[in-house]
Amino acid sequence: MIPLGLLSAGENGEIVEIAFAKGEAGGAGSAEQEKSLVRVEEMGLRIGKHVEMLTNGGSTILLRVDEARIALARRMAMKIMVRR
Amino acid sequence: MSTQLKLKDEEVQGEVSGQSAEARVITVAVAGNPNSGKSTLINAIAGTRLHVGNWAGVTVEKKEALFDFGGRKIRLVDLPGTYSLSPYSQEEIVARDYLVHQRPDLIINVVDATNLERNLYLTVQVMELGIPVVMALNIYDEAQEKGYRIDTAGIQQMLGIAVVPTSATKKTGLDELLGTVLHVVDAPNLRVPKRLNYGEDIELASDYLAKTFQISYPALLQRYPQRWLLLKLMEQDSHVMKELGLDNLAFLDQALHHLRRAHGEDVESIMADARYSLASGLTREVLQKPELRQTELTEKIDKIVLNRFLGIPIFMAAMWLLFKLTFDLSAPFGKWIGAMTDGPFKRWASAILTPLGAPDWTVSLVNDGVIAGVGSVLVFVPVIFAMMFFITFLEGSGYMARAAFVMDRTMHSIGLHGKSFIPMLLGFGCNVPGIYATRTLENPKDKVLTALLVPLMSCGARLPVYVLFVGIFFPKNSSTVIWSLYVMGILLAVVMGLVFKRTLFRGEAPMFIMELPPYRMPSLHSLCVHTWEKGKHFLFKAGTYIFAVSVLVWFMLNLPWGVEHKRDSYLGQAGAAIAPVFEPVGFGNWEAASSLITGVIAKEIVVGTMGEIYAPKKDEKKGVPSLREDLKEVATTFGEACVKAVKTLLYLPQAEEKEEDRGGLNLAIQGAFTPLTAYAFMAFVLLYMPCVVAIAAMRQEFGTWKWAGVGLLYQTALAWTAALIIYQGGKLLGLGG
Repeated sequence: MIPLGLLSAGENGEIVEIAFAKGEAGGAGSAEQEKSLVRVEEMGLRIGKHVEMLTNGGSTILLRVDEARIALARRMAMKIMVRR
Repeated sequence: MSTQLKLKDEEVQGEVSGQSAEARVITVAVAGNPNSGKSTLINAIAGTRLHVGNWAGVTVEKKEALFDFGGRKIRLVDLPGTYSLSPYSQEEIVARDYLVHQRPDLIINVVDATNLERNLYLTVQVMELGIPVVMALNIYDEAQEKGYRIDTAGIQQMLGIAVVPTSATKKTGLDELLGTVLHVVDAPNLRVPKRLNYGEDIELASDYLAKTFQISYPALLQRYPQRWLLLKLMEQDSHVMKELGLDNLAFLDQALHHLRRAHGEDVESIMADARYSLASGLTREVLQKPELRQTELTEKIDKIVLNRFLGIPIFMAAMWLLFKLTFDLSAPFGKWIGAMTDGPFKRWASAILTPLGAPDWTVSLVNDGVIAGVGSVLVFVPVIFAMMFFITFLEGSGYMARAAFVMDRTMHSIGLHGKSFIPMLLGFGCNVPGIYATRTLENPKDKVLTALLVPLMSCGARLPVYVLFVGIFFPKNSSTVIWSLYVMGILLAVVMGLVFKRTLFRGEAPMFIMELPPYRMPSLHSLCVHTWEKGKHFLFKAGTYIFAVSVLVWFMLNLPWGVEHKRDSYLGQAGAAIAPVFEPVGFGNWEAASSLITGVIAKEIVVGTMGEIYAPKKDEKKGVPSLREDLKEVATTFGEACVKAVKTLLYLPQAEEKEEDRGGLNLAIQGAFTPLTAYAFMAFVLLYMPCVVAIAAMRQEFGTWKWAGVGLLYQTALAWTAALIIYQGGKLLGLGG
């Protein structure tokens, strides 16, 4: 199990955990993080989905989920765990 | 625009009352994911009957069309593209408020057939509203090319909604879609979509809640779609709870008690999972994909365009091309408009007004006030439309999203993300389209912050001022001096970005997540429609705000009645009154101050006003050309402009243009400024309050004067401070006062 952000281009993985600080009491920005989780899930990045890393380099990574290309901030991708 | 939309609503309601069902207008809302081809579909159906406005109070675009089909009147309302109907973004709230409160007769749900699962997630939510749904299974042709097999009858059966395969780009399936819409509207048994089973625990909780709710709040169940309301209450949807004025309901906790014990605290996630498993279960049932997936053209292009090393150079090249095409193509036409308003239009106005017995001052008001003022802004129409055309092309082709991806890291340094780069870049051409382009940003904070920084980009209208002063004071290093002003604007944007981020716009930036659509060739028709929609605001403003301000300035320059010297006019007096403010920054004379006052209409007017003040034009006693000669001039110069645009584009050599003779003005300015004060003055012109068009654009985009006011104040303060540092610093360094 490794963070999604560490997959190299061309590698595939299955999402096993999305570890955004959800429901964290009182933490500043936790509402933003919850929003980010909802966004990520709506875009189709959910536990059990297979993703392919298309471009990894720089502050933003590019994934393929089904037939959609999703660009994602690296610090979000580091909190999503995948199984290769 | 919003008033126009309102008017139409009233018309529509007027038609409803007292007429037969056939004559009734059928309201159809169109919902779908971003990039599902929804816009293309609506364009293909509605064509030129499409009206674009804003949803009341927000800067989310609203598209509507009223047309006849099969002898019936249909009104299409395009909802913002969303991935879900959660309460987390302006777009989603707009979409669901419309569906819940306006209750359209039917919803067309546009679904991307190549991304079934994610799109069905929205479908499931749309079905909760109890409004009849027809699914447009769009991009069906591409799905087939990819070898997908979709069991449409299966979807139809499992969801209980009609499904019509469509291809908006190839314009297939559109008549079938509208035919099905009419069929469903007329068939009561097809009307309500199936109530999907969200799993035993959720359904039990929902039933329990329904019972208690029926007793306590029967009126609410009448007012809202019942299924939707119950589900939203269980999710404790913040937007709904606030709207209903409900908070911490004891029986809600009771209803959710079992659910929470079995599945965990977070009911919102449980519901999202239930919906998603419905979507993915359905996808598994109805979709068969080929074993081997082919690498698509889009992915091949992305490998190059988004490459770590090539990405930014390619982006820079694309932007350079955008600017080059925009300015080369539009410049001759801008000049043509300028020449027309200056020559024939003024002559015609005089020719019409004088025989009517209009006094001289009226003729002067029309010519020197209205035509000159509005004309100086109309000159920018070609450049704005050309720029909007190429931007629309970049958007429609899918490259704009890539540009944001590539520039994300750079923009992070000033607290913005990649998408903000595009409005800033456009600002160099003209700040106004830059401000309008903030529309493409999702986050309201980013929109405002970006719009506040855009006016620091040195636009084309400041250039005439630089050219005039640099020509007089820095003839040897003219390009370096002008370049330094552009750089000053950029650096100050970085500084102000950081300042705003720490003060007005605190809080964690939302994280970057964005879908990159596949590359597509936009159709000429949709390019033209969207270019017009983007550019028309500018035309509208030239006809209203600028018109009014031009008249005002004319009066300021010509009153009190019979004023002899410009110094004694109201504008001159105003200039003299505020001149002391500019004393510490090096140009505390009434001439400079008056020019700066008029410069708020458009910054190049500074030059025009200085011309008026320092070197009043002598009356030209040339022969006045006849109307026929004028018309001939209008036509031939337009032809010349076309030829020139093509030639510039093809790099053909052209005859050098003659520089305007400004001898008198140059001498006067040389007497009034020194190189140091000239530089401070140029910096001030670069930075001080945005022109009225830009301010009006901000007002329009944000629906309030607040941000326009913030921009006005901070920029003027910044300009004064910068000029002060330049002037006083320069004096200290012994550069001469």
